[in-house]
Amino acid sequence: MANIKRIKVGTASCGLAAGSGAVLEAVKRNAGNIPVVEVGCIGHCYAEPIVEVECEDGSSIFYSRVAGTDDAARKIIALSDEGRFSIPEKRASLEKNIVTRLAGRINPVDLAEYRANGGFEALKRAFSMKPEDVVEEVKKGGLRGRGGGGFPTGMKWSFLAAKKVPEKVLICNADEGDPGAFMDRSMMESVPYQVLEGMLIGAYATGATKIFIYCRAEYPLAIKHLTLAIEEMKKAGLDQLAGREKPLEITIKEGAGAFVCGEETAMINSLEGHRGTPRFRPPFPTDSGWNGLPTAINNVETFANIPPLIAMGGEAFASVGTEKSKGTKIFALAGDVKNPGLTEVPMGITLAEIVYDIGGAEKGSVKAVQTGGPSGGCIPAEHFDVKIDYDSLKELGAIMGSGGLIVIGKNRCMVETARYFLSFTHRESCGKCTFCRVGTTRMYETLERIVAGNGTEEDIAFLEDLGPKIRKGSLCGLGQTAPNPVLSTLRFFRNEYEAHVKDHVCDAMECRALVDVKLNTDKCIHCGLCIRTCPVSAIGPDFKVDNAKCTRCNSCIEVCPKKAISRVRKGEGFNSSISK
Amino acid sequence: MSEEFSYLNQLGSDKGDLIKGLQLVQSREGYVSDEAICAVSKHFSVPEAEVEGVLTFYAQFKRVKPGKYQISVCDGTACHIKGSTQIQAWVSAELGIKDGETTPDGLFSLVTVACLGCCSLAPVLSINGKVYGKLDRKGLTRILNEYRKMK
Amino acid sequence: MPEIQFILDGKEVTAQPGETILQAAEKVGIHIPTLCFNQKISRTTSCFVCVVKDVKTGKFLPSCSACPSNGQVIESSSPEVREMRRTALGLLLSEHTGDCEAPCTMACPAHASVEEYVRAGRKGNFLEALKIIKKRIPLPMSVGRVCPRFCEKDCRRNIDGKPVAINEVKRIAADLYYDEYMEELPPLNGKKVAIVGAGPAGFSAAYYLREQGIQSVLYEQMPEPGGMLRYGIPEFRLPKDILRRELAHFQKMDVEIRCNQKLGRDFTLECLKAEYDAVLLAVGSWSSSSMRIEGEDLAQQGIAWLGDIAGKNWKNCANPGRTVVVGGGNTAMDCARTALRLGGDVTVCYRRTRAEMPAEANEIQEAMDEGVKFEFLTAPLSLKKAEDGSLRLACQRMELGAADASGRRTPVPVPGSDFEIAADTVIAAIGQRTVVPEGVPAAKRGIEVDPADLKCAGDAPVFAAGDCVSGPATVVEALAAGRKAALSIGDYLAGRKHEEPFVFNVSRGHWRSLAKEDLVYLRKISEEERVKPEFISMEKRRTTFEELFPSIPADKVSKEAERCIECSCTAKGDCFLKKHATEYKVQPDMFTG
Ligand SMILES: Cc1cc2nc3c(=O)[nH]c(=O)nc-3n(C[C@H](O)[C@H](O)[C@H](O)COP(=O)(O)O)c2cc1C
Ligand code: FES
Repeated sequence: MANIKRIKVGTASCGLAAGSGAVLEAVKRNAGNIPVVEVGCIGHCYAEPIVEVECEDGSSIFYSRVAGTDDAARKIIALSDEGRFSIPEKRASLEKNIVTRLAGRINPVDLAEYRANGGFEALKRAFSMKPEDVVEEVKKGGLRGRGGGGFPTGMKWSFLAAKKVPEKVLICNADEGDPGAFMDRSMMESVPYQVLEGMLIGAYATGATKIFIYCRAEYPLAIKHLTLAIEEMKKAGLDQLAGREKPLEITIKEGAGAFVCGEETAMINSLEGHRGTPRFRPPFPTDSGWNGLPTAINNVETFANIPPLIAMGGEAFASVGTEKSKGTKIFALAGDVKNPGLTEVPMGITLAEIVYDIGGAEKGSVKAVQTGGPSGGCIPAEHFDVKIDYDSLKELGAIMGSGGLIVIGKNRCMVETARYFLSFTHRESCGKCTFCRVGTTRMYETLERIVAGNGTEEDIAFLEDLGPKIRKGSLCGLGQTAPNPVLSTLRFFRNEYEAHVKDHVCDAMECRALVDVKLNTDKCIHCGLCIRTCPVSAIGPDFKVDNAKCTRCNSCIEVCPKKAISRVRKGEGFNSSISK
Repeated sequence: MSEEFSYLNQLGSDKGDLIKGLQLVQSREGYVSDEAICAVSKHFSVPEAEVEGVLTFYAQFKRVKPGKYQISVCDGTACHIKGSTQIQAWVSAELGIKDGETTPDGLFSLVTVACLGCCSLAPVLSINGKVYGKLDRKGLTRILNEYRKMK
Repeated sequence: MPEIQFILDGKEVTAQPGETILQAAEKVGIHIPTLCFNQKISRTTSCFVCVVKDVKTGKFLPSCSACPSNGQVIESSSPEVREMRRTALGLLLSEHTGDCEAPCTMACPAHASVEEYVRAGRKGNFLEALKIIKKRIPLPMSVGRVCPRFCEKDCRRNIDGKPVAINEVKRIAADLYYDEYMEELPPLNGKKVAIVGAGPAGFSAAYYLREQGIQSVLYEQMPEPGGMLRYGIPEFRLPKDILRRELAHFQKMDVEIRCNQKLGRDFTLECLKAEYDAVLLAVGSWSSSSMRIEGEDLAQQGIAWLGDIAGKNWKNCANPGRTVVVGGGNTAMDCARTALRLGGDVTVCYRRTRAEMPAEANEIQEAMDEGVKFEFLTAPLSLKKAEDGSLRLACQRMELGAADASGRRTPVPVPGSDFEIAADTVIAAIGQRTVVPEGVPAAKRGIEVDPADLKCAGDAPVFAAGDCVSGPATVVEALAAGRKAALSIGDYLAGRKHEEPFVFNVSRGHWRSLAKEDLVYLRKISEEERVKPEFISMEKRRTTFEELFPSIPADKVSKEAERCIECSCTAKGDCFLKKHATEYKVQPDMFTG
């Protein structure tokens, strides 16, 4: 048996939420003098808490879903066969860990360990080149912004580099506003040095003298790791760029809970201490951005791509991917899949491969995927053979977005999904443009009406008419994309809208106003759990669910040990508002 | 400036740090009171109306004192798909408060937030920053009871 | 820096560096609407009402902030751009609340500026009030007495009691200044219009034609002008001396009136067409509807009967004896109260109940007070002569059944409920119809016209307005129609296309949907009671044709006007939202519902 070199416990947010705090304690208690370190996330979030045992011979053994008990810890230290976890082969063959190579494998805040694993080699290589050649290299790599827009990073850098002024600003967009995306969080938590190295290279290449990292406040661990990493870097003098008199200024700014601040000009306003409303362009940020200085903004993942790109060279980087979308993309896979988590895959992989082979979703159980969050769209299962890149997704009315990929099962209602996104965007609209502020509100109200069973066919026509106008009449990406979730579901799932407005039926049984709850007396064992759980006393001693009282909260359905209670079509339950 | 908010002096008076100042106040006080707005306005030499304008723009800032345990139910996409609406309804039913409200005993307050970044464990909620994932009805009651016991 | 050349609406335009598309457009006379743009503050680009389209990129830009670039092709007037602006305005309006115009003004069929004349009255400036009134109501003495008061029905003060006595302002203003006030008129332009029928519609048309410098000649079949005002409405509601005073004013306005001239008897449409630049038919609606019962001929026809009595100036008329009036409208009330004053013992038979009666509530009440009896839920079956020469009206009882399309409940007979009423006079007052003159197209309610410009089909400039188009309606509606015809004829004679002004109005809603707490306006709510008229004695009301009550004195009316809370928006005169919405024809409810 190999000797244990050290034990790694994944304590990124996902791990902690799954209980890895207790696991860490237990392992530490039982490890004796074996070093125990905290690491980030390897992307297999569904298997958290994960413990990796690194052996002297270089091999590693993973344990998944580890309990936070001494017993479990002792078993791991004894290298028990129980609970071992290996990455499914199929998944491993599809993934390509270029950017996430170190994520979850190293101590995130240990500078030496990052260096020992090839960290800051890329920076060294960059320093050996002229700044403009670094920009050229990034152009050669064909890297496109991972924040959603897909703008070529090298091009953006060249605009900033062209400004001959003493002060310039580089901003790292770590606002990760798309609800359902978490790759930026994971990168900052797991490999903060890699993200920072990307920024240093960027600052060197563009001549930026000041760096802001604008991170959403909901990510305390990411902020903590970045802060620690910046301190370490400063101590090591890494903030002193080659050929500069003064060290680089690096500042972390916490967002304050406004989605629109992920938009570049809004972010600049926010960084200046204003309300985060977008600005009219021109002037473009690279001409006049933060406090009037030339400014470029890149996403966390974009920066995380830079060190591998520079290290391997643009050409090698560009050998992965499709013609117009180079390299890999990290997707945050969530929703109705067996194995939610992060996955780094080459551009050009198909949706089917991600959903079924990586995510482990069962074929036939999936209705659609939603990409791009509130700005994106839904792609139905029939189109899962599409090769993913920026352009192919756009053709389908969705977008690559930041990489959130939500799998929507057969049992979900697409109208409700669209309503959900509009509830988000109309709330998050900054209020500046009429079309976005009022238009999304009117669309949202219409969708509310439809899911409440009060919609009409005119409502559908209304959505189809107003949506494109909001796209055209909004200043920033929020409004320009806000109608997408509605228009794309209308395009692919029009039948569901029609069922809601014409027959007042929600086949997915999701829309509360269109369902009743019914108890199947054949299956019921009269245990009474449902009666005790019901918050509104809608279940009588005769085990009938009174639909006039029931709020459709599903509590009884969840607690019933015999699955005797279910949602049925409106009118089919006892004391329904429509009697049948 | 009143003594109470003298900790603002740890920040410079650069207007770019206005939001940071408000965040500092909120982390200390739990919310931003009228007095705090006044103090922040003086510290950054920004009119009170503008401070309030900035403050109301950002969802993070609270104008009323929250409960001892702040429950944030995630309604991000993944959680929504996994039934966060139900979670919200259950928490509301258990505590008798709606989104944005605080229980009369001041113990719990409830807000809905968009994405805590733990989508793979959906549905999730956080209580004072601690995230609980893969919630179901029973688990939720258990968690709330734990906090109730702690008082 | 060099100038910038770009294309705007197909025109080559030059802009200075730094100039926005909006500024460049303004210089070449292309007007772009804006709301949030203000030269003095930083550009907000919020409203998006100023959008233009960049044709090459397909993008829509806020022109208030976008600067043109060389070779750019910009559209500012295409249907697509206009549609985007309409949408922006519609969306803004969907969140807009308040009242542009006060509900009284909106309710007035003539769209008189009610709030404004009430305000003038409040200040005691009744001449000013009259000037405002006459912009829309050229017969204020009559309307001040006989109008069913659409404005008062929608007055917000209905929420907490009684509406402001608006019509009393009109009445006293006219009483005080009608004779004295002479409007400034433009010189005559040589055009001349023949108007057939010297009733409210005809006079209104003559008035507003004259305001455009167009002379008119009124042809009237009766010995005196006034139409329904003279021969329909009885003396006790509108004294004819007052009417004569009112109509005399038109002579000062170069209006010629030719009485005893009946179309088809004394002149033809063809000769009018030949002689005049245009013809307006305003012949009213004078033919009584039939009761469709056996013995119909034995009954008097309501409007004709009133006309007879009016012709005799309510003097030396026979006592109608036991009188039964069939019908529930205003004509029925006028017949009943006239018969009563002539000494009759009057009963009104109506098919439905009091609540459904089309007559004004106050007239029903006044008739009852005066001693008119009512048989509700009663329908006539037949009329015959008894042996003693008197009449027998067979009736049956009705009950209210299901609501019909108009929402009114239909009366259905109660079987076996037949009974007879003995009478000396039976008057059928169940409605009037228009007799459409020969050679003029007919529609369901009367003369057929294009509703947009009131012109009859065909090349000839023949127009029609008033009751003869709409069927029997009110004086103020006839005045509105006459004005519309005058403007349409004016446009026709000037070779312009007539367009109805687009009436844009935001409203907080009908007072029925509001609560007292909603009445937050600039003026506080006065606690005073509504002013009450002082009726003449009941004895006089029963036996003479003296006017029901004298005009309420000016000081009391001014005080009454204090009760007005002034619902309209103070910015209605210079509101850009309203201006643009009107220009782009956007209704406030474009995006509601
Ligand atoms: C409403 C809105 C929200 C956005 N949110 C984010 C975000 O949370 N994170 C991000 O990296 N980019 C976001 N973007 C995209 C950024 O504006 C910008 O394109 C990106 O940061 C540029 O970096 P990249 O070129 O590296 O992708 C958002 C854009 C819009 C319009
Ligand atoms: S005037 Fe240009 S956006 Fe309002």
